[in-house]
Amino acid sequence: MGLSQLLKIGGLLFFKRFSNGFISILKTSPMLRAGLGILLLIVLMAIFEPLINGYLLKGHKSTEFGLFERLLPPSYEHPLGTDHFGRDLFALQLTGLLYSLVIGLIAGGVATIIAVVIAVTAGYTGGKLDAILNSATNAILVIPSLPILIAITAYVRMDLILMSLTLAVFSWPGAARATRAQILSLKEMSYVELAKVSALNKVEIMFTEILPNLIPYIIVGFANAIVGAILAETGLRMIGLGPSEIPSIGFLLNRAMDSGALAQGYYQMVLAPAFLLILTFISLNLINVGLEEVFNPRLKKITGG
Amino acid sequence: MVVQKILEVVDLRVYYKSIYGDVKSVDGVSFSVNPKEVFGIAGESGCGKSTLVEGVLRLIVPPGYIKTGKILYKNNDLLSLNDEELRRLRWGELSYIPQGSMNSLNPVLRVEEQMVDAITSHTDTPKEEAREMAIARLKEVGLPVEVARMYPHELSGGMKQRVIIATSILLKPSLVVADEPVTALDVVVQKGVLQSIANLRDNYGITVIFVAHDLAAHAEIVDRLVIMYAGKIVEIGSIFKIFEDPLHPYSKLLVAAIPSIEKDVVEGIPGLPPSPLNWPTGCRFHPRCPYAMPICSTKEPPLKEMKQSRLVACHL
Amino acid sequence: MENPLLELRNVTKDFRIGGGLGLGEKRSVKAVDNVSFTVSGENPTILALVGESGSGKTTIARIILGLLEPTSGQILYEGRNVGDWIKKDEKSYRRNVQVIFQDPYGIYNPFYRVDHVLYKVIKKFGLASSSKEADNMVEESMRAMGLRPEDLLGRYPHQLSGGERQRLMLVRILLIKPKLVIADEAVSMIDVSLRSIFLNNLQDLRSRLRMATLLITHDLNIAHYISDEMMVLCHGRIVETGETKAVVKDPLHPYTQGLVSAIPIPDPRKRWKDTVEIEEVTFKELLAQRQRCIFSHICPHVMPICKEEIPQLLKVKPRRKAACFLYPKVMETAKSK
Repeated sequence: MGLSQLLKIGGLLFFKRFSNGFISILKTSPMLRAGLGILLLIVLMAIFEPLINGYLLKGHKSTEFGLFERLLPPSYEHPLGTDHFGRDLFALQLTGLLYSLVIGLIAGGVATIIAVVIAVTAGYTGGKLDAILNSATNAILVIPSLPILIAITAYVRMDLILMSLTLAVFSWPGAARATRAQILSLKEMSYVELAKVSALNKVEIMFTEILPNLIPYIIVGFANAIVGAILAETGLRMIGLGPSEIPSIGFLLNRAMDSGALAQGYYQMVLAPAFLLILTFISLNLINVGLEEVFNPRLKKITGG
Repeated sequence: MVVQKILEVVDLRVYYKSIYGDVKSVDGVSFSVNPKEVFGIAGESGCGKSTLVEGVLRLIVPPGYIKTGKILYKNNDLLSLNDEELRRLRWGELSYIPQGSMNSLNPVLRVEEQMVDAITSHTDTPKEEAREMAIARLKEVGLPVEVARMYPHELSGGMKQRVIIATSILLKPSLVVADEPVTALDVVVQKGVLQSIANLRDNYGITVIFVAHDLAAHAEIVDRLVIMYAGKIVEIGSIFKIFEDPLHPYSKLLVAAIPSIEKDVVEGIPGLPPSPLNWPTGCRFHPRCPYAMPICSTKEPPLKEMKQSRLVACHL
Repeated sequence: MENPLLELRNVTKDFRIGGGLGLGEKRSVKAVDNVSFTVSGENPTILALVGESGSGKTTIARIILGLLEPTSGQILYEGRNVGDWIKKDEKSYRRNVQVIFQDPYGIYNPFYRVDHVLYKVIKKFGLASSSKEADNMVEESMRAMGLRPEDLLGRYPHQLSGGERQRLMLVRILLIKPKLVIADEAVSMIDVSLRSIFLNNLQDLRSRLRMATLLITHDLNIAHYISDEMMVLCHGRIVETGETKAVVKDPLHPYTQGLVSAIPIPDPRKRWKDTVEIEEVTFKELLAQRQRCIFSHICPHVMPICKEEIPQLLKVKPRRKAACFLYPKVMETAKSK
């Protein structure tokens, strides 16, 4: 069976199977629904940022200086007021959200792809190659990422892509380990034994039996990687690092605090980006907890214990 | 002389809420248990026997709920008790050994520690006394004293199951409910555990409700037997009478379906157990019953006394 | 026997326990200890391998299937070494030797419909040349096993009962048509009342396909119901063999006697009269077992010699063998059976 055929059929199967299973999963857990709902809201806000801001700012970019009067309080025209540079804060938050999500997406996506490729290779071949890859992964995992990230961002001129890739380099080992652990446990399943006895070779088993059941974990890992990257970027921002052309949420937060917004009483400048960050984080946690609710069977307890 | 029943269940219905409607796992079950007997509940998987005992012990959690019914334990209405009163009742009076419980022993505690914990968390007994109680119970189920200082992973399946039985009688309950206690065990070990259970009745006067799908196990230790099918009781009676002369067609087929070294021919039961989402109309067994009559598909047969102390639900 | 279908010669499998990083003693347990037996292909028999948990029966099954390598000994199928055969041409070996696993839940990949297990083998072994032919094959085979395709196909595993899933495995066997099938506790996880249907199907397959069966079970009732011959395994060693009905009626080895007397008889008038001793072997004792009879620690008939030597599996009566010092070698034979 050709690899391209496998992938095509795999794709069709995934979609059908998951849309069926997905709906019943949604029905089970209110937390999952809440988490996904919030995530959807955030994503929509980010996707529609160009439209919304195009309408609100009449063609101007939200980062343009001096568009409006400085330091206006919240009003109907400016729901969150304006900042020190005369920029509408509400529009700015949306832009920040978009950039943060894009960074998260690229960093998370690249990290997940690397992690899956390495984990699958290690899991499928087993033996020496697995041992080597595992050690390498663990070695990178142990490296303290924050100091190195600080060093890199401080000395190297960053753009969006480079920033994302740098973050990805440090987050893939965690995902790879988790994925490999999943693969190892899936390898023990009885249906894998049945496949072996049906004369399927290692590649076929990996792609037809193991990978489909790995997808939910990969998706959750992907979501985790996205938020992890967003938070890591924010962390770097809070120390003042990172390119100022990229107005991520972390950047906005940092700028607001640096300019003394809290002391001056312009609370919304700090609270708005913080709120968006917290919302993102909460949505991910709800999704994680919700998925655990769905997939983990309840343990039975002995009465009176 | 009329003996006071230790447990009386009247028209118990335990349903589960689902998006397809109510799943009627236990749908109108009534029976009573005499003190100091081993009372068996038998039936195929999915007939509702586990749900039944969970319902009686008030262990049903949402989406399950008790729709109607009366549960009288020593003439106390269990359904009217609050959580605190129920808690006191458990372990002290009513003890429960759920399915697979031998796997829920705490792996990081020694056996005697777990047993002592169980005692001290329910009573004011001092630790030393609790320890002595624990060791006494272990001896009673036939385990060597050394087991007390061992960890669960050092014990075999049969030993773990006996530890569970010993733990369940620590506070000298009047009633022990065991759900499939021997299903996963080897045949020699099964014999030992079944004998431990029978021992509870013989030497300690404890009433036991024994739930299992294996009729041969029931045959070894049970006094009276209930046969369930599709959420309802089809026959109740003395174990001897049921095996000698099964009245309900399902009972007949069930007894005939057991492979045994004494039989050369074994007939399975045709068809499949129905789904609880869609119980058949009338008598629930009628699609598989070799004696089905037209009335069987429309009218549900009530549980009636046929011969002495034997109840059957059948139109024949 | 000339040209047996399957032959095991002195197969032993050790498992290491402890001593991971060079700290602590390296010890090993013999899960399978010098086991030899044959399965005939001429009159396809159902041979029951009876043993409790820890007896090594599942390990033997996995060795025969090539999923485990033995520590020593040979496994020959049609005279050829199985290990080499699998390395060279796994597909053809799998066409010949198949398995029915114990767990009707785990063997189905929850991602796929149940059809997957059937169509997978059709594809792999090239049993049909077009998808229409494949559909026909599946339908016919299901009906032959008394199952209705319209009821079961297209469903997901969780929508079928354990009994249905296990019988679908029989359909898989019917499609492959192996010469030998290993049924590893195939009915332990389905209701007692449904087991006879499955076992009847299995017998049906034996006659239809002239297929030999190695029935692995701990339940003597099942062994008695459909097997022609049986072997009793205790802690990795064969202690008794013979025609099933004869062994159950008159067990020779004390371990077999204990097993037979522990079977619950579904008749309340025939309850057990004796109580069972707890046979709980500690690990240390198992290790010490190597040079003695495997049952000597609790055998009711134990004699001094039992703790000094390993009894050999010897012919005690026609077509009956036992490994016990109670029975001096009675029959001298040129050809062992």
